[in-house]
Amino acid sequence: MRIGVQEKESWKGDPVPAALLMKKDLKSWISRLTDAYVVYGPKPRGNNFAFERIHTPDEIVLDYSTTILPLKKFLGPPSEAILRFEEGSVQPLPEEAPKTLLFGVHCCDASSFAVLDKVFINEYKDDRYAKRRENIVTVVMACSEPEETCFCSSMGTGPSLEQGYDVLLTDLEDRYLAESGSPEGDALIQMIPRAATPGPADFQGKKKSIEDALKKFKRKVDTDRLPELFLKNLDHPMWAHIRDIDLACGQCVLVCPTCYCSDIRDTSEVTSASGERVREWDCCVLLEFAEVAMGGNFRRDRGARIRQFMGHNLSYCIEQFGRFKCVGCGRCIQACPVHIDITEVAGKVRGG
Amino acid sequence: MKDPYLPEKAAIEKIRRETVDTKTYSVRLLDARKNAEFSVEPGQFIMVSLFGIGEAPFSLSSSPNSDGAFNTTVRAVGNITSALDRFEEGAIIGVRGPYGHGWPIESARGKDILIVAGGIGLPPLRPVITKIAEERRDYGRLEILYGARTPDQMIFPYEYEDWRKIKDTRLELTVDSVPAGTGWEHNVGVVTTLFSEMKTYPENSLVMTCGPEIMMRFVVRGLLAKGFAPDQIYVSLERRMKCGIAQCGHCQIGPKYVCKDGPVFRLSDIQGLPDLAL
Repeated sequence: MRIGVQEKESWKGDPVPAALLMKKDLKSWISRLTDAYVVYGPKPRGNNFAFERIHTPDEIVLDYSTTILPLKKFLGPPSEAILRFEEGSVQPLPEEAPKTLLFGVHCCDASSFAVLDKVFINEYKDDRYAKRRENIVTVVMACSEPEETCFCSSMGTGPSLEQGYDVLLTDLEDRYLAESGSPEGDALIQMIPRAATPGPADFQGKKKSIEDALKKFKRKVDTDRLPELFLKNLDHPMWAHIRDIDLACGQCVLVCPTCYCSDIRDTSEVTSASGERVREWDCCVLLEFAEVAMGGNFRRDRGARIRQFMGHNLSYCIEQFGRFKCVGCGRCIQACPVHIDITEVAGKVRGG
Repeated sequence: MKDPYLPEKAAIEKIRRETVDTKTYSVRLLDARKNAEFSVEPGQFIMVSLFGIGEAPFSLSSSPNSDGAFNTTVRAVGNITSALDRFEEGAIIGVRGPYGHGWPIESARGKDILIVAGGIGLPPLRPVITKIAEERRDYGRLEILYGARTPDQMIFPYEYEDWRKIKDTRLELTVDSVPAGTGWEHNVGVVTTLFSEMKTYPENSLVMTCGPEIMMRFVVRGLLAKGFAPDQIYVSLERRMKCGIAQCGHCQIGPKYVCKDGPVFRLSDIQGLPDLAL
């Protein structure tokens, strides 16, 4: 198995609960879902799209381009209080995480959750993350029209998935093939109005849809031995070039669906001994990120900082948690004001 | 499972001034049962909370002693360490941990041990010296080379006589400079200037070093030149840390987390990684 290509779950050998959803019934299914769940989905925002709260089915646009911001906000907000101090007591915060259904999630974004799971549910489990994660239900949408910047097919995270969803929808012209990936997914499929049973032609249709989509990818990354090659090319001349053009603005980290670094600091109320410990998104390409006492900084060099972002995504992650951190969504490519392209970096470390 | 970010409350029982900016804090968890279960490998660290001020990683300068208190020796150089410097005996702090991998105390058995420390790098090695003294017959010769900037910057000076009395132990001291009017009968120069008289040899030995990374860079070069192999040299690294549990991302060196895979690393495991001064 090549690293990053997902293995099929063994239970997939059993009959998969699946149904056909006619496109004309899509809205009434979404209505049933919005009655039962707090639903978020892709909504137009200017010329782009954002995952926002959905109250009525008309708000969702399923044929959407990659949202500007990824879905990590549903697993941890940009800033949150994690502990509360009162006189003499320390309490963990927060306690609750509402059940949330994310509708129309792209495969790359669904895969980002599996990466974040490796970080936050490990030897030490962050309950805040785990509770939110347990309460997120996903209806994932296989992609048939990858964008210029997409390369999920290289990272094993799209255009379709074999696991990591509650329901997977595949567009079959006048209908969707809806497949369940969990008991919760089974229940969602039960809610499909006038659901029909899919036949072999529908699964053939799915297969063809994936094959067609695979032909449309413009960007590719060869992941074979990529982690080692990256480490062997830490002094590649491209880093000097990138250092010269890089603005260290941090857009790439902000839009990366799997960038999870955080700063932790205390706030205190002047008039009392109360306060909070706050965790906030942080960013490895910013100068202060690796500062230590007495002005020391092991990544003062801008090139070293962007190399950290690239290396974490393409190399270091394999030793850390056994899969690529990069899910091939292409957001960092879209966001970069100076056109630094992670797929080019991956090509150059192998002499491309 | 307990929230890994929730600190245990602890009391500072005793404070001992070491130098003008460094103190040793003797700490005990308020929960007696948890304090009794608190066990530390030499070289591990704890996350210390000053509630409302912040949290930072501190290495432990002692394992829990016979009455259960443990020590951390801290130099006041940043926001949190400077705030701690103003705390008094009896103050309540928070403690999480201990975390990380410490010194190779087990694989060091039967071997000669060379300790090379600089400045505030000595405290994380003190538990190793204590352990060897307690289980003296399990280890070969012990050589300690310690350097500080000036004589009054030396940490634990009151223990040096005891260390010299440990069987088969050599302690050599050096300072970068001696201010006028200060008495000093030992070496002057960076710690590697002690290497010419070094009595530890590569055969059947292990090196443990801790200090500023730039010091360790020259220590490592000097040792390699003397024939020591990268797999018998252990270094303790410092990086910014916010969580201690490999979730905040700050302390990464390539694929390694200093908090989880370190802070003590075998040199051969980290050679060639990015953003290292070694």
